[in-house]
Amino acid sequence: MKSLLAPGHRGCAGCCDAMAAKFTLMAAGEDCIVVSPTGCLEVMTTPYPESSWGVPFIHSLFENNAAVASGIEAALKSKGEMGNTKIIAMGGDGATLDIGMRSVSGAFERGHDFTFVCIDNEAYMNTGVQRSAATPFAASTTTSPSGKVSFGNIRPKKNMPAIIAAHGSPYVATTSIGYPKDMIRKVKTAVDVEGPTYVHAHSPCTTGWGFDTSKTVEVAKMAVETCLWPLYEMEDGEITKVKKIKNPKPVEDYLKMQRRFKHLFTKEGGDEFIKQIQALADENIVKFGLQ
Amino acid sequence: MATQLIKGNSAVVIGALYAGCDCYFGYPITPASEILHEASQTFPKLGRKFVQAESEEAAINMVYGAASAGHRVLTASSGPGMSLKQEGVSYLAGAELPCVIVDIMRAGPGLGNIGPEQGDYTQVVKGGGHGNYRNIVIAPNSVQEMCDLTMKAFELSTKYRNPVVVLADGVLGQMIEPLKFPETAEELAIDKSWAVCGTKETRENLVTSIFLDFDQLEDFNYKLQEKYETVKENEVDYEEYMMEDASIVLVSYGISSRICRSAVEAARKDGIKVGLFRPITLFPFPENELKALADSGDKTFVSVEMSNGQLIDDVRLATGCTKPVELVNRMGGNLITMDQVMDKIKEIAAREE
Repeated sequence: MKSLLAPGHRGCAGCCDAMAAKFTLMAAGEDCIVVSPTGCLEVMTTPYPESSWGVPFIHSLFENNAAVASGIEAALKSKGEMGNTKIIAMGGDGATLDIGMRSVSGAFERGHDFTFVCIDNEAYMNTGVQRSAATPFAASTTTSPSGKVSFGNIRPKKNMPAIIAAHGSPYVATTSIGYPKDMIRKVKTAVDVEGPTYVHAHSPCTTGWGFDTSKTVEVAKMAVETCLWPLYEMEDGEITKVKKIKNPKPVEDYLKMQRRFKHLFTKEGGDEFIKQIQALADENIVKFGLQ
Repeated sequence: MATQLIKGNSAVVIGALYAGCDCYFGYPITPASEILHEASQTFPKLGRKFVQAESEEAAINMVYGAASAGHRVLTASSGPGMSLKQEGVSYLAGAELPCVIVDIMRAGPGLGNIGPEQGDYTQVVKGGGHGNYRNIVIAPNSVQEMCDLTMKAFELSTKYRNPVVVLADGVLGQMIEPLKFPETAEELAIDKSWAVCGTKETRENLVTSIFLDFDQLEDFNYKLQEKYETVKENEVDYEEYMMEDASIVLVSYGISSRICRSAVEAARKDGIKVGLFRPITLFPFPENELKALADSGDKTFVSVEMSNGQLIDDVRLATGCTKPVELVNRMGGNLITMDQVMDKIKEIAAREE
């Protein structure tokens, strides 16, 4: 399959954004318009006058990504030009869960016909790894640093798929860049379903999380295999499909791969935090019926 | 006191801590993020409050909240983030609340890039948000001043109950220079005559900017203008360098004034009578001082700025357009070069001969 995201962009080796964008375009095909805010993805693929995008690309900002997508959809519809054109807003976790939350909520509530793909790398990577509402419990970032008294981020991840589902979205899915077929299938389903649809892609960042550039896929898979990132689909608010994990791995296997959790293994008292993280994974197993 | 090599952005946090600032609210943006990082480490360590907001609007309105409670509050951002904050800044000015906002300017418009620029001048110095208000604006040109003028900013914001903006740029934020730490630290003192503290004595205090009656709002606006006049009378600050006999006056602030200083020294070696006039406060702008200079003889003024002729407007206004005012500028994240300034100085000197 021809890639609509040209190689030669400025992404890091092993970049999660590049993979997420590539898979999204593989699913959506040529007839789509992509809106994406400032962030690694935009900076590395579209520094003027270069562009890696083989489809129309509109730059927005974090807080207005879904609003810009709403505007495009409204304009195309007003002239009856929508046809089969897919409108895709791609944003990072900040542009989706934090500063972008209001415009995302507005677009889903109004029911625009578009797909929002959240590339969740669990912190603000482009500005230097500051925490976001998607940063997991106990991860160290530049604004939730681990240290003498701190074990990193003290809050769990915001449950964005549930929030989107609560807006009445007909299709909400979680996926991971470690499972390209899964991601492509889910984005394809999302763009084909009429109305505002949502795909939340867990996307390990080699630079921000601290792992070797060859390990992006391994880390992504491990998040799923430890049940810390469950893969599921929701139709009209109900979970309809779940990826089963027969023999879940202990969360240590995932945590020890990454520098952002290093303090849990080197600092006294880290065990307690690992236990709490294991409890989160165990909760997921029950909540989503992963076994 | 101790002297240490330190980054400009870190010096802001040190200045704030010494000024008795006890609340930091912020959101990441390059090239201002180190202020957020530094605050996330130092504020909690000292028992002060650090909160990372979910957006720039949330950050400035957390500032509004904590300032309403009478605390000394800091936030920092850069171009696009400053634009997002403007509604909150107008409300802070309208409710007469003290706070310090640091703008580490980057190149615009739109996303632009993260290089240094001074393109936020008009937005910040003339107000930025809606309504008849002004920010007090101070422009450091060294790491030392990033600290000292942040302290000064807290003093002025408390004194006038008005937002104060420390207007710096990407170079000042990122560069490392020696910093002599402040001699004394200020203690936070909450003024219970207006602050809302959840106590019996502050129960009747009101933090608001709503005046439904047109005449009442007009009266309030006149009151604000009187305050700005007082600020103009008392708080103008500037620096002159080799100005005694200068027939060419470079007017420049922030990082570009550092380049001008070198240019003045080089041109003086060639026997050209050139000096530097550096506004330290951009509001209040040293207009009387520039007018006096313009009236004192034949002079050519040169606005040296990293923007599209924003400072030059204020130089023209101050001098009443009685003397020629020329422009040397760069944009897009580029620094002004010595050669650029020297070429202009030599061109004017040749014309004068």
